[in-house]
Amino acid sequence: MSENTTVIERAVTTTDPALLSRYWIGAAGLGLFLSIGVGFLAALERLDLSTASIFDGADVIFQLWSAHRVGLVLLAVLPLILGLATAVVPRQVGASSLAFPRMAAAGFWVWLFGAAITVTGFAVDGGVGAPGATSQTQAVAITLVGIMMVLLGIGATTICVLTTVVAGRSSGMSLGDVPAFSWSMLVAGTMWMLTLPVLMGNLLLVYVDLRGRSAVRFGAEEAIWEQLSWAFTNPQVYLWALPLLGIVADIIPVSVKAKLNTNRMFGAICLLGFVGFGAYAQTYFDLGTPVRQEAFSVAAAFVAVLAMLMALGALAGSLRNGAKETDASSATPLVLAMLSLLLLLVGTVVGALNAVESLDLAGTSAIGAQMIFTLAAMLVGMVAGLSWWGDLVAGRATPQRPLLITGLLLTLGLGLVGVADLINGFNGLNDFTGAVLSEAGNSGSAVDTLNLIVVIGLGMALVGALNGMISGCQHLRSSEPAVANPWGGTTLEWSDNEGSA
Amino acid sequence: MVTTAPVAPANRPRTLMVGTMFATSAALMFFGGLFSIYLSVRSDTLAWGAEWFPEGAISLLPGGMNMATMALSAVTMAWAVYSILNNDRVHAYLAILVTGILGVAVINQTVFYFMDIAIPVDYNEAAVLFYVIIGAHLVMVGLGVFWLGLLLLRTLGGQDTAQHRDLVSSAALYWYATVAVYSFIWLFIYIGK
Repeated sequence: MSENTTVIERAVTTTDPALLSRYWIGAAGLGLFLSIGVGFLAALERLDLSTASIFDGADVIFQLWSAHRVGLVLLAVLPLILGLATAVVPRQVGASSLAFPRMAAAGFWVWLFGAAITVTGFAVDGGVGAPGATSQTQAVAITLVGIMMVLLGIGATTICVLTTVVAGRSSGMSLGDVPAFSWSMLVAGTMWMLTLPVLMGNLLLVYVDLRGRSAVRFGAEEAIWEQLSWAFTNPQVYLWALPLLGIVADIIPVSVKAKLNTNRMFGAICLLGFVGFGAYAQTYFDLGTPVRQEAFSVAAAFVAVLAMLMALGALAGSLRNGAKETDASSATPLVLAMLSLLLLLVGTVVGALNAVESLDLAGTSAIGAQMIFTLAAMLVGMVAGLSWWGDLVAGRATPQRPLLITGLLLTLGLGLVGVADLINGFNGLNDFTGAVLSEAGNSGSAVDTLNLIVVIGLGMALVGALNGMISGCQHLRSSEPAVANPWGGTTLEWSDNEGSA
Repeated sequence: MVTTAPVAPANRPRTLMVGTMFATSAALMFFGGLFSIYLSVRSDTLAWGAEWFPEGAISLLPGGMNMATMALSAVTMAWAVYSILNNDRVHAYLAILVTGILGVAVINQTVFYFMDIAIPVDYNEAAVLFYVIIGAHLVMVGLGVFWLGLLLLRTLGGQDTAQHRDLVSSAALYWYATVAVYSFIWLFIYIGK
């Protein structure tokens, strides 16, 4: 590039994976803060279920509630994963760079503009419809366009990561030799490429039906979320958290200086990836029995628990064999990795409970609890990953304490939300409580107390996200050089870390 | 101990092919999802005894013509790959050009049919699905034609040879997927209605 280019030109036209990784993670940090923020606002309204005391009716509350879920997945969790993968995967597999670097850069910018349009759509009374259908149709259409752009950006970058693992590997490295995080990205990315296009098809159908005329069916505002919700609930939500298993499988064995049973771990990743395929769980496919009550769906919910136990078994072997060798310097990633595993295990167990018809949890806040546990697991796992590979991503030494605080706040905060929502689910509280007492399902004093805990939990998570953003900025401004191999890792990413700033 | 395996070459020969495979799979899943919705909503509607497409609204002729054109284009695409493999540039130009023209013909026929058909998009669920699926396929064909144009320019410049044929192979993979998707459109929408 010419030396006459400005900083902005260089920033916009860069194809450097390390820089793109920082863009993804920075933007996703903001997305996380906004997503938890709108969830916090929606939870505030739940404190008094007798009336819409803060916001103007159920439709506004629904927009905040749905923005929280869409934002957590598409504006926070997935971009965070892609940010880490963009920097780490090429190095792990010994590739000279990310495959199709221009497409990866385009993917980020398309995602960023899509994210901005999505946020704008939600902010101008749009979103993904509303139960009372009183939102602005044009704004709903804008939101849909934004989400489609977000999916395009995520899809383009995912293809780059997948191609890097498949075709960019170092010569002599078979797929079985690929480090766990890259392997998990291969499985998760492949499953994303099989499910995100289906969501894109749903969105296009809604958009065409909604735009410029009275909707026939697909674009009817009160039905839009119902149709898109499969992407944000069981079992699809496991696919968003799948790379977590790869992250912890890279962290734990190195931290405790013990070998990992890779066959069992890779098998667990594949199994969870298989049962996480959720594109079939759409309301359009409810012909007679709801698809979520079909035998496959119920069995998949229990197999997810087995997959988690399989992964835990593989990691427990490493912990048992190497516990005495644990290095105190790797305490932060190790602790956060263990916490994220615990959250994911709880998430799969709650998913299995939701599948038991006799417990009558369908449509209750237990559905939200499962999503929160699973996404919280991925978020805490991401913090563990950033603590582990932060030097590679930023090219500077990674301060561990702020990341530990961020991870603990997210674990505690979102864990509280999950537990309170789960108990509320057993109390019969609806997943979306609305603004009218009769629609909430239950408004007893126990539910009110638990709703207060949800607010406190989301408040803690919000502080955690803010702390993460501030410490990330401080990290990038730091001048302390990256350590070449801080953990004594044996995979390729540590072989040439000279600091990529 | 740090592993010191050699760094991979900057650009492995099959990189583009692998990337195209993932992108094409995504495109197939996009249409797979839409076809599933089409068949499921159609089945539900017919089970209730309601009308799907109005009687005589969907004509087999344009669908059949397009199917024949797409099938022919698959043959010419294979001809292009074969020619490149044999370093036969003249036949490669011709095959890519003919494939592109057949693609344009499909776009032309589909647009004409859209203008001619007497079903507005908001007529019923079938109409919405009809326009979304066939419209999305139209975009897929358009992208394919653009890719073929790029390929033609590269071939004219002598950049695609038996040794450097990844772009042709990738374009062929994408084009075959385009033809495959249309065969389902023909089967489910034009024949099955």
